[in-house]
Amino acid sequence: MSASTEVIADTKPSLGRPWSLWGRQIGAILRLEVRKNFLGKRAILIYLLAATPILLMAALSAEINWQQSRNNNIGEINIIFANLYEGLILRTIIFFGCAWIFMNLFRGEVVDRSLHYYFLSPVRREVLVVGKYVSGLIASVVLFTVSTAGSLVFLYVGLGSSGMNYFFEGAGKGQAMGYLGITVLACVGYGAVFMVIGLFFRNPIIPALLIYGWEFINFLLPPVLKKISVIHYLHSLAPVPVSEGPFAMVAESTPAYLSIPGLLLMTAAVLVIASFQIRRMEIKYGGE
Amino acid sequence: MAVHEHAYKPYAGPLTPVWSRFLIIPRHAYRDVFASKVFTGFFALCFVCPLVMAILIYLHHNLTAMAIFQINLQNLAPINGVFFQFFVGFQTGLAFLLTVLMGPPLISRDLANNALPLYLCRPFSRAEYVIGKMSVLLILISAITWVPGELLFLFQSYLEGAGWAARNLWMAGAIFVGSWTWILLLALLSVTISAWVKWRLAASAALFGLFIISNAIGFTVNGVLQTRWGGLFNLTIIMKTIEDSLFRGPNSAGLPSWMVLPTPAAWIMLALFLALCLFLLTRKVRAYEVVR
Repeated sequence: MSASTEVIADTKPSLGRPWSLWGRQIGAILRLEVRKNFLGKRAILIYLLAATPILLMAALSAEINWQQSRNNNIGEINIIFANLYEGLILRTIIFFGCAWIFMNLFRGEVVDRSLHYYFLSPVRREVLVVGKYVSGLIASVVLFTVSTAGSLVFLYVGLGSSGMNYFFEGAGKGQAMGYLGITVLACVGYGAVFMVIGLFFRNPIIPALLIYGWEFINFLLPPVLKKISVIHYLHSLAPVPVSEGPFAMVAESTPAYLSIPGLLLMTAAVLVIASFQIRRMEIKYGGE
Repeated sequence: MAVHEHAYKPYAGPLTPVWSRFLIIPRHAYRDVFASKVFTGFFALCFVCPLVMAILIYLHHNLTAMAIFQINLQNLAPINGVFFQFFVGFQTGLAFLLTVLMGPPLISRDLANNALPLYLCRPFSRAEYVIGKMSVLLILISAITWVPGELLFLFQSYLEGAGWAARNLWMAGAIFVGSWTWILLLALLSVTISAWVKWRLAASAALFGLFIISNAIGFTVNGVLQTRWGGLFNLTIIMKTIEDSLFRGPNSAGLPSWMVLPTPAAWIMLALFLALCLFLLTRKVRAYEVVR
């Protein structure tokens, strides 16, 4: 039997911030979380949600091909898609999908009684917030952009050669990029809001429903209040404007150069709030 | 007496009759929920609408009171099918909130804590267990929907005379059937969600989401495909169609005529939906789950 002593070189702590360490930690969290977000049981609901608009556009595409009498005027079809995008994809599927994905990031861990593994590991909690947010963002952006892109593919394929010409030679490509961009921004904005709700509230349903109500009645709100919402900025970016109905309060739409940085700034602010909140977070599994 | 002489003796006390065993579950559940002041307050608020409507019925028949309050008969809501349909619609809305509060933990707690064998090892079948859990909601929602509805009908019949009751007996039937379709849907849906979603908040969210998302999908299908059959995905429209047919009110949701769902289709879809809930429930409510 022999005893040996291992000598470890004394490394001086670096004076700057350990960005590379945080980067590696975020990478490790991402690997765990992305797998969970895509392959976990909770993902099934999101897959079903994301598949809905694709199936709907496939049905529309089949109907256009089936019924010659069906109007396949590009302008009109664009308006139909704009309404479908805003009414179903943006206001329902992305909203509820993001609510599910981002609220589950922390609340789901509490329910599974596994959050303490993260809290016991030598990771700064702010790093954990960023890692989890980015993982939720990857999941939501991938699923919902695929959903939007799939719907657009069926839209243009359904219209046949005129649709393909419109896509490749007309305004179709620009519009498609616009819709995909709005989808990404919606995931960024709603994701941050729902993650912070999941951190602040033990019962996140009521605040989520209040936000849904606020976003839903956005068209009725006076211009100043309209700006305190995510949907206003996303609506302003829509490539094909959608009428908000006869009861809507008319407000000047915010230009893209203001609405995109505005949303990103809001997201950053919400993430900072989430970082402060998680530092004081204590786990009480018994209450769940 | 020596310890070894303490042999097993079966319970010799009075047994609960077989037919009423399922009522044990609601009895204990009510003790828990009514301990909450918020819930008790909300439940009390559920009786405000029946009270207001009873006052309206009374005012219709009391000229002195109308003169005191300086109310013209024409300004009062007429007591007809629309009146009772509004009552059922309003009360079932409250019943939905009641279900969201009470429904999610009904079965999920038993499943999460492996407590189901404790029920099923007793002379208590799976069907009785499910009926017992559902009756927690059935009884409470009945107390705020069809029971006060029928009382209002009887009150109006009493004040108006037997002739009115005979002419409008279909309204009593509509209140009863309309309320029970909602009660069955809400109870079965919440119990099924409770069995499949163990996280209480997620179960509540699923209840809300099911109505909101199915509403959006239904209307989008109708709009995009220019069809009425999208309504088959929309639980709210299915129930509205059934209510309209029962109360003989055409299209109370104010839909364009080409979007209105045929009544038999709404009934069939509701039956299919309830059957699906029942199927999912029977798959989940088992004493032991064999994992291979």
